[in-house]
Amino acid sequence: MTTAATPPGMVDITLDGNVVRVPAGVSVFDAARMNGVNIPTLCHLQNQTPVGVCRLCVVDTGARVLTASCVRTVEPGMKVVTNSEKVLNARKTLLELMMSDHPSPCVRQQNSGDCELEMHARAAGASQARFAKRTVARGKDDSSLAIAVDHDACILCDRCIRGCDEVKSNFVLGRMGKGYSAGIAFDLNSPMGDSTCISCGECMVSCPTGALTNKSVVGTAIAAGPDAQGFEAEDLLQIPVFKGVSGTFLELNRGAIVKRRFRKGDLMCREGEFGSTAFYILEGKAKVSISTPIAHVKTQGGAKGFFKRLTSTLVAREEDKREGETRDRTIPIDASVDLSYGNPVAELGPGDLFGEMTCMNFYPRSATVVAESDVVAFEMLRNVLDIMLKNKTFRAQLDQTYRRRALENHLRGVPMFADLSADFIEHLKESVELQRFAPGQTIALQGEPADCFYLVRIGFVKISENYPGGEMVLAYLSRGDYFGEIGLLGGGIRTATCTALDHVEVVRISGDDFRDMVARFPSVRTGLETVASERRAANQQRMQMVHNVSIDQFLSQGLMEAQSLLILDLQNCTRCDACVNACADAHDGVTRLVRDGLRFDQYLVATSCRQCRDPLCMVGCPVGSIRRRNSLEVIIEDWCIGCGLCAQNCPYGNINLHPFEVMVDDPERAGRKKAAIKQKATSCDLCTHLKEPSCVYACPHDAAHRVDPRTFFAEMLGQGSTK
Amino acid sequence: MIFDDLRAIQLRHGFLPKAELEGLSQRTQTPLYQLHSVASFYPHFHLVPPAKAEIRVCADMSCRLNGACELRADVERRFADARPEDVQIRDVSCLGRCDHAPAVSINDAIFTDVSGEHAEEIARRAIRGEDIHEPHPEQARVECKADPYGDGAAQNERYDVVRKLAQSRAFENVIAQLKAAELRGMGGAGFPTSMKWDLVRKEADPVKYIVCNADESEPGTIKDRFIMTHLPHLLIEGMILAGMVTGAKRGILYIRHEYHLQEEILGEEIRRCYRAGLLGKSILGTPLAFDLEVFVSPGGYICGEESALLEAIEGHRAEPRNKPPFPVQAGLWQKPTVINNVETFINVPQILARGVDWFAAQGAGVSRGLKFVGVSGHVARPGIFEVAMGTPMREVIFKHAGGIRGGRELKAFAPSGPSSGYLPASMVDVRLDFKALAEAGSMLGSGAIVVCDDSTCMLDMALAAVRFYRNESCGKCVPCRVGSQKMTDMLVRWTQGGLPESQYLADLALLEELSQAMSLTSICGLGQIVPAPIQSVLKHFRAEIDAHVLKGQCPSGICFTPAARAGEAQRVGIRP
Repeated sequence: MTTAATPPGMVDITLDGNVVRVPAGVSVFDAARMNGVNIPTLCHLQNQTPVGVCRLCVVDTGARVLTASCVRTVEPGMKVVTNSEKVLNARKTLLELMMSDHPSPCVRQQNSGDCELEMHARAAGASQARFAKRTVARGKDDSSLAIAVDHDACILCDRCIRGCDEVKSNFVLGRMGKGYSAGIAFDLNSPMGDSTCISCGECMVSCPTGALTNKSVVGTAIAAGPDAQGFEAEDLLQIPVFKGVSGTFLELNRGAIVKRRFRKGDLMCREGEFGSTAFYILEGKAKVSISTPIAHVKTQGGAKGFFKRLTSTLVAREEDKREGETRDRTIPIDASVDLSYGNPVAELGPGDLFGEMTCMNFYPRSATVVAESDVVAFEMLRNVLDIMLKNKTFRAQLDQTYRRRALENHLRGVPMFADLSADFIEHLKESVELQRFAPGQTIALQGEPADCFYLVRIGFVKISENYPGGEMVLAYLSRGDYFGEIGLLGGGIRTATCTALDHVEVVRISGDDFRDMVARFPSVRTGLETVASERRAANQQRMQMVHNVSIDQFLSQGLMEAQSLLILDLQNCTRCDACVNACADAHDGVTRLVRDGLRFDQYLVATSCRQCRDPLCMVGCPVGSIRRRNSLEVIIEDWCIGCGLCAQNCPYGNINLHPFEVMVDDPERAGRKKAAIKQKATSCDLCTHLKEPSCVYACPHDAAHRVDPRTFFAEMLGQGSTK
Repeated sequence: MIFDDLRAIQLRHGFLPKAELEGLSQRTQTPLYQLHSVASFYPHFHLVPPAKAEIRVCADMSCRLNGACELRADVERRFADARPEDVQIRDVSCLGRCDHAPAVSINDAIFTDVSGEHAEEIARRAIRGEDIHEPHPEQARVECKADPYGDGAAQNERYDVVRKLAQSRAFENVIAQLKAAELRGMGGAGFPTSMKWDLVRKEADPVKYIVCNADESEPGTIKDRFIMTHLPHLLIEGMILAGMVTGAKRGILYIRHEYHLQEEILGEEIRRCYRAGLLGKSILGTPLAFDLEVFVSPGGYICGEESALLEAIEGHRAEPRNKPPFPVQAGLWQKPTVINNVETFINVPQILARGVDWFAAQGAGVSRGLKFVGVSGHVARPGIFEVAMGTPMREVIFKHAGGIRGGRELKAFAPSGPSSGYLPASMVDVRLDFKALAEAGSMLGSGAIVVCDDSTCMLDMALAAVRFYRNESCGKCVPCRVGSQKMTDMLVRWTQGGLPESQYLADLALLEELSQAMSLTSICGLGQIVPAPIQSVLKHFRAEIDAHVLKGQCPSGICFTPAARAGEAQRVGIRP
């Protein structure tokens, strides 16, 4: 009771029979703790707002019901009993209820023996639950690289939720559902690994049970190999770019980041190889280059006729003009610089990050990096890179490097922007926004107001248009591509939906800057308008087609997707294989045609590039060398590094890798060259060097045809020509 | 508002597609998880495309007593071969049509006195893509004693109390009169109204709110539906008075989403009041202001808990708050808030128009005032009746509701839904009054009288009640979330019989421990009251339970039938 002697700001309460003096405004829980009475709790953590949901901390204040001490403020004269039989029995029943659904021993109990629920239950003699067990398992989620989720061990204490919201301001985790079927969920109940979770680990360190536990990343450690040096979390925290990263996270991810020393001339990574790590240079200089020759693959036909075995050779761009080919002067790679077409070499130094695409999206390495001097670099796995990219300090530094070194190239790399003045580029360097999108995230939605223009910096963006009953992929855009101009130049409404296909970063130019730019630079305006109207026309044509054709089988065989098919009329075909032989003869003995495939009506659709409308082959090309002409015909640009991803991606097996013998720098002996085999991807080139495809020409029975399926099958589909 | 956004999306697509939620998240800068955590909480929202005909059979109390289980089995047979994208059949919590049981909701339109044939016909229309409309049976005009203006009074004859108070501004006097009348809350808890209003009146905060809880969802509770249909002007007058007295300038009428007709009636009445200058920035030309809007609940029994209701208005999951602080200090948006039941509000103009003496004289014996009760279950004339507070239950059941249907005997009655527990026929002389019912180990609650004849299995009724709470638990706190499931599991096992006596005794002891823990530690009234139905049945009908558990016999022939077992198997698990 508050007596005259109670000083201001203090309150007297009776705690288990003793009068104690505590600061006004503290919770009963804290008041007890200050006086050496530890009330058990599961949902309460000192650094989080109390929520009073586990009810384990109930005490008797003489009211009809018990009160949760963590959410109850002390009042003068309050009589608190923390340990009566009534209170202890209630707590024991609560523990028994939770234990009846707990997968005991849970992962945490197994790993470290400190599951808080199991500890409290044991102390209260409630380890053996008498209640019926849960009959329907709530499941596990193993999708995150860093954190394992066992929903069955979750007691819904909300500690992870508050950790994510209050402590880290990441706002990823929440409760879902209601009542006994309630649980925790990431975003819209996505698997943790697909969610916007950045693996900061706060939820995991907040969790009292084995519901959220650290996945052992040491098992996938990259620490193997010479010159690698792992670290203690404290060492890492001394380095500026790790400022603000959770120490616990680094502790738990030991082995997912190593410091490596490379001597001058050492290979850091090789183009075309698959990997899963990114590098961050701390000291020294490295040379980034493409060693595959940058040239056309040309199949030259002689005058002696078609059946002579032809040879493919590499030909410089200038000697072999191709229609629809870009004249890009830069090659986008997976680092903060672009390479020039003529001399694909650049230098990386301290503060540069490379391999981001490989690390985040598991794409092949886009270039070869060799140490120019002795180099010290971090090599890290995705969970560490991911958390570093979310780190404001590191992010700001990367953005700054990008703005300083690559943005100008990036802008100038778009031919249309070549005429921008230096001062305008300077202005853009500061005013553009760099945005990141997670796989599947919508960047712009069809029908929404258009308020900005985007340049793709990293990753792939899918452009698609909705029509009643479906979605039509219009394009896949990658580094160097841009989008959003149609909406800005047109009616101010987005005409298509743009979705991040993987980990995507874009440069966002605001609507105001964009308008300013087109007003000041008429050539940019004209260029953009031309592209916009071309894109619009192409899109319309495609959509038109979608509306006209709706035969189930036609669609289900993917023929709808094709623009050009090699078909064999089986009524005429004698299976003589002349077409296959002709193709092989025309392409260095390697056929690009297999006389096998799906049948549609009396026709065999042979395995040969179909020039798909949704060209899956283009997704993932680390150097952006596979793309298509405006006619949608697939084209492989000169700087193909032969990684083979497109060949893997083609669902129809229509892309082949073609080996060439070339001379490359010998890594063992500086300054010397040695012979090596390099590959380049090839697909059916329609024998453009000849008058008609050699397979078609070779067929003695007039059974082979290259056709546009819509026109060819139009009659059969009961439609008029769509052209 | 988040619910408006979600409803708009659902209206366009029939459910909440992921891409739309992502768009909404970006537009409104709301984290994705918040949208999902709200959308997955309320039964109103679909996260996956719903079937063409979503058939929901109410299986609570009155509907159960009127063949809901058989109806559901019948409907399931009729659609045994239907594709899941066409038909989905599920139980639903009480729809508030207990006087016309059984009730079925098909695509959110509610049908009453439904037969299997009837349900099939409507569902087939829905599958064919035809519109289905909720029938609004013409409700006969009724004369209510409670209406001081009489039935059919013109608008300018009503709201007399508001007109006078706007002139006199004798706000203290209103509180004094309510105190003298001893008016108590009619939603269940019975808190003195004068005290609640006075506390809010004395709060210094310039922003205050009046909230009407018209979310009656306790099985058997239908009185507010009746009041809102027939006396909407008294409800609105009561809310305006609360605003004037406490200084609140904004009122929100929170109505359950199954009351489509009442929503329209109230909306119409509110518009009339705005036109007549009774609502708005200047009431009748005075500086007094009061704006009133209807808020349609996104659904769930828990929204009737006052702090959960406030959370729902704020756009959150309807999870009850830890108290203190109480709404009078920190209510809606943490501002002082009066939150009262519909019937409480309509009592205020009655008392002020006719005086405390009139009010006191309306009650029977020592009781005061009038009480609206819904009587349903096995009675001849189920319905809503306006009776004197203090009327013996016998009179309510046998005189007003026409006695037990089909010449059977009264076995038990619940004075106010499952929360009041069941009293045996021997206690039918108990009077309808706060004190009398509390002394009988029950409560006046919300006047949801459910009557059971001698064919009723009381264990089955207790299990249905616990299952209702299990389904309606918000899941915030452990005792209610886990305890309601474990209690359901235990009672299910009992209805299956064949337990050894030692196990039964152990179960009884465990049930007692669980009941204690739930009553003592749950955050809100829902978790605290979960044990009431089974505890009352154990107290008054113990032999019946013993027969089930030990002998495997159901004296009423409800449990142990193959149909009961099949139905049970489906319902034992957690809700899909």
